Amino acid sequence: MSSEFEISRSITIGQYVPTGSFIHRLDPRIKLLVFVILVVAIAFNTSYFGNAIGLVLSLYLFWASKIPISYGLSGVKPAIPFIVILAVLQLLFQGQLFSDGRVYVDYGFVLITSESIRLVVVSAVRFIEIIFLSSVLTLSTSTTELTHSIQSLLSPLKKIKFPVHEISLITTIAIRFVPTFAIEMEKMMKAQASRGADFGTGGWWRIVQRTKEMFPIIIPLFNIALSRAEDLILAMESRCYTPGGERSSYSVYKAIAKDYLVLLVGLFFSLLLLFYPFPF
Amino acid sequence: MEPIIRLENVSFSYKINEKTKVSVLKNISFSIFPGEYVAIIGHNGSGKSTLSKHLNGILTPDSGDVWVHGHNTKDVNKKRSIRQAVGTVFQHPDNQIVATIVEEDVAFGLENIGVPREEMKKRVDEALNVVKMSPFRHRPPHHLSGGQKQRVAIAGVLAMKPDCIVFDEATSMLDSFGRKEVLQVMRKMNNMGMTIITVTHHMSEAAEADRIIVIEGGQIVMDGPPREIFKHKLELENLQLEVPSVSQMAEVIHSQFNTFSKDIIQENEFIEEVEKFHKEEVGT
Ligand SMILES: Nc1ncnc2c1ncn2[C@@H]1O[C@H](COP(=O)(O)OP(=O)(O)OP(=O)(O)O)[C@@H](O)[C@H]1O
Ligand SMILES: [Mg+2]
Repeated sequence: MSSEFEISRSITIGQYVPTGSFIHRLDPRIKLLVFVILVVAIAFNTSYFGNAIGLVLSLYLFWASKIPISYGLSGVKPAIPFIVILAVLQLLFQGQLFSDGRVYVDYGFVLITSESIRLVVVSAVRFIEIIFLSSVLTLSTSTTELTHSIQSLLSPLKKIKFPVHEISLITTIAIRFVPTFAIEMEKMMKAQASRGADFGTGGWWRIVQRTKEMFPIIIPLFNIALSRAEDLILAMESRCYTPGGERSSYSVYKAIAKDYLVLLVGLFFSLLLLFYPFPF
Repeated sequence: MEPIIRLENVSFSYKINEKTKVSVLKNISFSIFPGEYVAIIGHNGSGKSTLSKHLNGILTPDSGDVWVHGHNTKDVNKKRSIRQAVGTVFQHPDNQIVATIVEEDVAFGLENIGVPREEMKKRVDEALNVVKMSPFRHRPPHHLSGGQKQRVAIAGVLAMKPDCIVFDEATSMLDSFGRKEVLQVMRKMNNMGMTIITVTHHMSEAAEADRIIVIEGGQIVMDGPPREIFKHKLELENLQLEVPSVSQMAEVIHSQFNTFSKDIIQENEFIEEVEKFHKEEVGT
């Protein structure tokens, strides 16, 4: 009964699981870079074989980072309704665009072919692979390391006056306040529930109902967020923060041989997924 | 001696809109000297937070001046050195931590003033040591208790090597244990020579200070050592303030046994007096 209020526990973003594995100790910038190229490669691969490789690879990464696969699965679970809806829509409406291959069903506007089935299966698997990969990334990399990596990977953009530091600061603060707001939200849900509001009695698949239940929470949450932001600005200014000012940096990273090796392996897999003509 | 902070006829009002203004500070003047431990008390809405925001130039007076080390807070070029000299710890432990890791947060201010990396590491270590948070340096802040978060916030200010730290009700969100932790740190820093200004609703906390400033309706109504201030029980009550609970207890006992001193403002004094009283009673 109490579980529907415990949001702060089920939030996996920013939930670093320190197992001290090989993956954890990689240079976070390299890790992020490899993540990005792998995700791009997976996003473009449409073959069964290629996605099987991607799935095995992402499972392997869980094993290598010594993080229980249940973390990955708990990330997939909330996405299931979307995956299912997407699959149904694709199955019903995308057939005309992918009319190659064997035709299984041809009824009115519904056309189901071996190609459209491939699209459905591959999209679903792709989704899961990407969730797995991002879980490994966020579970094995502290949020600080992540934001620093984003900052340093984007830093060439400083030349064209792109506010790299500001973006990374905003990300840091956003991540920093996720657990705070989760706790705040829990408190409010409990307060509303004790006045008779109804949360989480519908199953997780009843998206509309569950969204509606959230309205009385979201508006006060905005209020709290704004007043917290005001306080935070005050505290930052008191600590000499000047937007756009020159700053020094507390953490620095140094890539060593094994990091470059991982980058090479990541590149190899990405190129394989992108360009190798898989037989099926 | 040169004061660290000097206020001269400071008046300030918040603008609600074009026509309405709320006048909050009215012609306030006082000085804070190096090494002092000052408590500012006053009931809700008397203008304490507004006053403390004037001490590092977050707000500037409508009329009158605030001087920090001889620099006017209205001088924008001196903003950085003023804020570095006078640090502030705020009420909500959660709303003043910026980074996702304790040590990074302590370094935030140092990054802002461009301290080189090696120096930064040293200062972060020292500051975390003073507040006894070194074992937690790699933790995310949401895994800390309120008192611990507040000590991290103090470390962040301390690392900037300020001359003075302002605490605006920094203990009011904490339980009595967390409050003790923070008070100990304040006392320790004051013993190390740091000037401390603390805004508080807890009279037992104010009794710890060397000097109390009482604010009412944006004006200073009393200013003196705690022992003097707490003698004016009736005046304080008229200002919706009270004397520390140990003083109240001492007075009750004094009315029954007049050998028991009523001039008591701190817990340890009270305990000593009880011990003394007990010995005398048993002795006779
Ligand atoms: N940003 C603001 N805009 C308008 N009025 C304000 C603002 N902040 C404070 N005030 C008003 O100024 C007065 C003094 O507020 P201040 O916060 O300085 O009091 P305080 O002594 O710190 O009170 P508390 O003990 O509750 O913290 C109050 O009447 C308050 O309503
Ligand atoms: Mg206040």
